[in-house]
Amino acid sequence: MIASAFSLLNQPSSLNPDTCRILLNGIEHQVPVAMSVAAALLYLGQGATRQHPVSGQPRAGLCHMGVCFECLVTIDGQQNQRACMRPVSANMSIISTPKDLNS
Amino acid sequence: MTQVYDYLVVGAGPAGMAAAIEASHAGLTVLVLDQAATAGGQIYRNVGHSSTAQERVLGPDYSLGKPLLKAFMAASCDYQPLAQVWNIEPHAQGFTVAALIDGRSVNFVASDLLIANGAMERPMAVAGWEKPGVMTAGAGQILLKASALLPKQVVLAGSGPLLLLLAHQYRAAGVTITALLDTTPRSNYWRAMPWLVAGLSMPKQLIKGMWLTLVQRICVPYFANVADIQIVGDAQVKAVRFMVAGKEYEIPTNLVLLHQGIVAQTQMAQTLACEQEWSDAKQCWQTQVVKAGQTSVPGVQVAGDAGAIGGAQLAQLEGRLAAMARVKQNCTHPSWARKLAYFALSWRIRQLHWARGLVDRMYQPAPWLSTPTGTTVVCRCEQVCAAEITDIAKAGCAGVNQLKAFSRAGMGPCQGRQCGLNLGYLVAQAQGRSMAQVEPLSVRSPLSPINLGQLAQATEL
Repeated sequence: MIASAFSLLNQPSSLNPDTCRILLNGIEHQVPVAMSVAAALLYLGQGATRQHPVSGQPRAGLCHMGVCFECLVTIDGQQNQRACMRPVSANMSIISTPKDLNS
Repeated sequence: MTQVYDYLVVGAGPAGMAAAIEASHAGLTVLVLDQAATAGGQIYRNVGHSSTAQERVLGPDYSLGKPLLKAFMAASCDYQPLAQVWNIEPHAQGFTVAALIDGRSVNFVASDLLIANGAMERPMAVAGWEKPGVMTAGAGQILLKASALLPKQVVLAGSGPLLLLLAHQYRAAGVTITALLDTTPRSNYWRAMPWLVAGLSMPKQLIKGMWLTLVQRICVPYFANVADIQIVGDAQVKAVRFMVAGKEYEIPTNLVLLHQGIVAQTQMAQTLACEQEWSDAKQCWQTQVVKAGQTSVPGVQVAGDAGAIGGAQLAQLEGRLAAMARVKQNCTHPSWARKLAYFALSWRIRQLHWARGLVDRMYQPAPWLSTPTGTTVVCRCEQVCAAEITDIAKAGCAGVNQLKAFSRAGMGPCQGRQCGLNLGYLVAQAQGRSMAQVEPLSVRSPLSPINLGQLAQATEL
């Protein structure tokens, strides 16, 4: 995982209490509630969401509004979910493994 | 017995909300299906839950959505968020609409439909746009509205009001804008000049637009008349390369946001066989409207950016007008006051569309962006590059739908939403035809992917 290119607007010095626990590739994280899964991935520094089935290259969400289908991840065992269309919820398990992510 | 709604509205943006308010006040049974978790559409996304810090950064126009949202939540209509419509078809009592809700397909029946699912951003196929670290400006704004996420630094590239607005909002939030690459061709300004009269009919918006443009030119590293943008990097964006007046530049960055205007989402209307037309001014396909949102198919209306692109204010008025027209059907003797309100509203909509002519012409996409070349990926889903498409088109392919069969371009999960327009431009260019002569990609159900289990369990009527 690399340093996130994104940060929260109201950078919490008073630590934002409204967070929830999610599992990203089995690793526990706290993310702000009501964020989309795609936003949570960016927040956690995961710049890519999936490995492209044709080219094998890493890809990431382009539109964040349900149009491009680039942010497909596995959510709670369901494959090919658009990460941008699903708000995070407590104990949600997300599998997102783009190859060569941090090379 | 399934409930038959009088009016089913797809989309809870300004058009859908305004229509639902009007129709439910008039006593119709109304259902609103929306794919997002909260109502507001893209323009007023999350407006009901935004923080004061978000509102400060997003500006006063964003908060205009608040009273509308409040009226919508108070209206006596049924509202179903997180509903992804995947099928619409005619039914004995009107139409049946199937939506995925919480992983299950649910059917709804209504006598009349209003399609108000808005627009999407015009795809901007530059070399390397498929790399992680490239998003659209709309995506950047959605992250700000819905998740209060901001990039630390960014390069903005493209053309159009949203790009300038986002630059303004990012600056207000303290984001470092490494560069703003404006691809608007100089010739557009000349082409738009006669439409200045139209723009002058809305002086407030015109001044705001000119001010936004001016401020960005002064306050951020601004490059005008940019061409040949290339995204450089391997697994992640490292830099952006571009040309200005024959000189090459390269700027290091890990994030590029692209934008070149928005285009109507016509897929739902297309599955219902509503007639489509090519708009030369807006450079996109749109659903033909007879009057007050009425499409060529009886019982089906469109409103807002799902019809002709016009922005939030117009969308809200169009939604209201469409609902008034629907209510009129049930009312044999409307009052004079109602008739007058209807007439005034349709006149105002016509005037606003005319005023929009300036923006339409000013921000038409640059030709080099509509017709990419070489190894630039056009179909992201199936990884089909521009040269392959041009070769097939030159060999005499009949149109984009045959091209789809030959190349797989447009066959992936996005169902041609990201490549359809560029396929059309490339075929038109290779064969010396106009866009109006190249038909749009055909649309078939499912409108969004559904797995076999969900299909099998789909509630039967």
